[in-house]
Amino acid sequence: MTTSVPQTRTAPPPARTKAKRHRPRRSARRLAPYLFLLPAAALFAVFKLYPIGRSFFLSLFKSVDGVDRYVGLDNYARLMDDPLFWTALRNTGIILVVQVPLMLALATGLAVALNSALLRARPVFRLGFFLPMITGLVAYGIIFSVLLNQQYGLANWLLSLVGFGEVPWLTDPLWAQISLGLALTWHYTGYNAVILLARLQTIPAELYNAAAVDGAGTWQSFRHVTLPGLRPAILLTTVLSTIGTLQIFDEPYILTRGGPDNATLTIGVYLYQNAFQYFDFGYASAIAYVLAVLIGVLGLIQFRVLGDKS
Amino acid sequence: MNPSRPNPSRRRVLGLGGGLAMSAGLGGLTACSSGPPDGAPGDPAKGDITVWSWAGPAAEMRALVPRFNKEHPGIRVTVEDIGNPAIWDKITTSMAADGAGLADVLHIGVDYLPAYTDRFPGQLADLRPLGAGTYRKAFADGLWETVSLDGSRVDALPWEANSGGFYYRADVFEKAGVDAEALETWDEVIEAGRKVKEKTGTYLLGIDKPASQQDSANVFQLLLQLQGTMYFDLDGEIMVSSPEAVRAMTLIKRMNDAGLVNDISGGWNSLISSIKSGTAAVLPWPTWFGGIIEETVPDQAGLWGVRLPPAVRPGGTNAATVNSTHLAVSGTSRHQAAAFRFVEFVLTRPRSQVGIYRNKGIAPALMAAYEDPVFHQPSEFFGGQRKGEIFLEALRSGTPAFNYTSDYARALKAVTDAQTRVLLRGADPATELRRAADQLAAQTARKVAR
Repeated sequence: MTTSVPQTRTAPPPARTKAKRHRPRRSARRLAPYLFLLPAAALFAVFKLYPIGRSFFLSLFKSVDGVDRYVGLDNYARLMDDPLFWTALRNTGIILVVQVPLMLALATGLAVALNSALLRARPVFRLGFFLPMITGLVAYGIIFSVLLNQQYGLANWLLSLVGFGEVPWLTDPLWAQISLGLALTWHYTGYNAVILLARLQTIPAELYNAAAVDGAGTWQSFRHVTLPGLRPAILLTTVLSTIGTLQIFDEPYILTRGGPDNATLTIGVYLYQNAFQYFDFGYASAIAYVLAVLIGVLGLIQFRVLGDKS
Repeated sequence: MNPSRPNPSRRRVLGLGGGLAMSAGLGGLTACSSGPPDGAPGDPAKGDITVWSWAGPAAEMRALVPRFNKEHPGIRVTVEDIGNPAIWDKITTSMAADGAGLADVLHIGVDYLPAYTDRFPGQLADLRPLGAGTYRKAFADGLWETVSLDGSRVDALPWEANSGGFYYRADVFEKAGVDAEALETWDEVIEAGRKVKEKTGTYLLGIDKPASQQDSANVFQLLLQLQGTMYFDLDGEIMVSSPEAVRAMTLIKRMNDAGLVNDISGGWNSLISSIKSGTAAVLPWPTWFGGIIEETVPDQAGLWGVRLPPAVRPGGTNAATVNSTHLAVSGTSRHQAAAFRFVEFVLTRPRSQVGIYRNKGIAPALMAAYEDPVFHQPSEFFGGQRKGEIFLEALRSGTPAFNYTSDYARALKAVTDAQTRVLLRGADPATELRRAADQLAAQTARKVAR
């Protein structure tokens, strides 16, 4: 590690000893990248790799009277028969199938609008749509729950001004799901729009000119130039949103605590409840592993369907 | 738990998973390492000790430190206000990490105590060798069983003993022409509630119907405890579908169907707002809540009344110790003897407890404290009633001990979900409670008591 490149250049060793010294220097050089990687790798091993392995190990145990007993795949078998796990999976699936496509469509529309030459004060709008992303999650969760309070909330007060009755935003199972979807959309649409916008700006203007020469209208050039150009960014945002959705925790935890009657219980919230409210770390670890496998499988499918067609 | 980092959701939740896996991993290590935690009694007259508590109790303990130091100048006490419910997560993670970072003295509620002693054996010190046995008879009935379940060890000493109460707006009842003091059963309460609603438009009481908070089953729990049962029997078998439970849930459903229940979802703030705007005529809350009402609506002095709750069945009891809190000493503390000195000073000296009651209205489990006149004075706020004596009568009437078990949190979740279905969808109490019992049995390997 002491041999640095400039030194070897400015002071070439005598030819006779070259062969002798060459070997250690070459192996030191070969070692260098690993040494530079070592701190990161060590941190990764201690804070990621070890817990990942350890939690798999844990998922094979069950705590009985404070002592961990090996139970094989019992925790996984219990998971298959657990109606709350299936409820959590279904709720997460609904968000994935309904909220994510709507949000990404909205983000695409936003990206196109933000990219438009007709738009004035672009930075203001871009900042405005991105700001929710950097808002502290707890702060935004609490603000949403205050806004959406059925009796004292601003949302219902505004609705009452135009003659609507009280909406049970967080207290009715279906409305709670809708509120959760709204909060997620508010928070993440701008973020996805910015990713899409970055890609949009790499689409060459000649393609649009060529399309216009061929007589394409606005919709046709969007359909045949913009969308194909966006494909990699759409894949990226879809995969990120899928992973984010499957692991979703903060919003339901703060807004509804998974309720009412488990209508917004997600896999992340259920995992948290089992680990930190019921102290069932083995079962929680099993949930985490099933979740990881699900994410892997869905990610793979998305890459197959959306990726690499060019 | 720190869900406030401004990163994309993916990374945030990965981080959470990492943190979870970490503490889970350490939890595993705890369980694998042999032998008891390496705490020590240490010198009873010397040492730095830390105390974890929340809000009012923390402030009161801090205020007691100077007087404690006059007797024990060698013990330096630091009281930390962790906040409630944050304190439970903090204790859990420290215990999962083999006691790393845990305070010497811990303030623990009855709903968490058995979970800590069961899931993390040895993380709370046995107070018997430190001299706790002397106080066996000093506390209200049922509480010694709570801190010394099988009698072989003492996990903590009792602090608060809260009895179920029935605070009511005397002026509203008067307007409706109903005598609140004469109500003997909850059936009569429902009838009275109808009259109150009809004449004044005020709801009978409030419940967090969608269970937006963990403790939304307080009324249900009170009605159960007034019948002498809880979610588990003393053997730890599941009781959430017992006839008593069905009766309690049916009473709640009847109130709800009659339009007498106001929804107070949204937590503490909603509850306080509803008191300020006077939406409910009755607050069926325990001893400690009287002080909260006085603080919240001081201008309504004289308009409020207090009594013990009516019985569930004719001739039944109206006394129930609905919850208690305790001070425990951590099993990994190096100053357990000094820590116990402080616990003793706070909880077994009448003078300490009387001062705390006077300042914060926290009702002591220590029976000797009740000889002080402060418990026997008429209260101006409650129309000249002697609030202290009313609750003392409940403590003296020999209420049974309840077994919360280490699965209380699961049971509470199953019960609040059932209550939500009953209140929001009009579901059948018996069916829903049976479903809750079956779910609990599947989750815990406990049997449903038949």
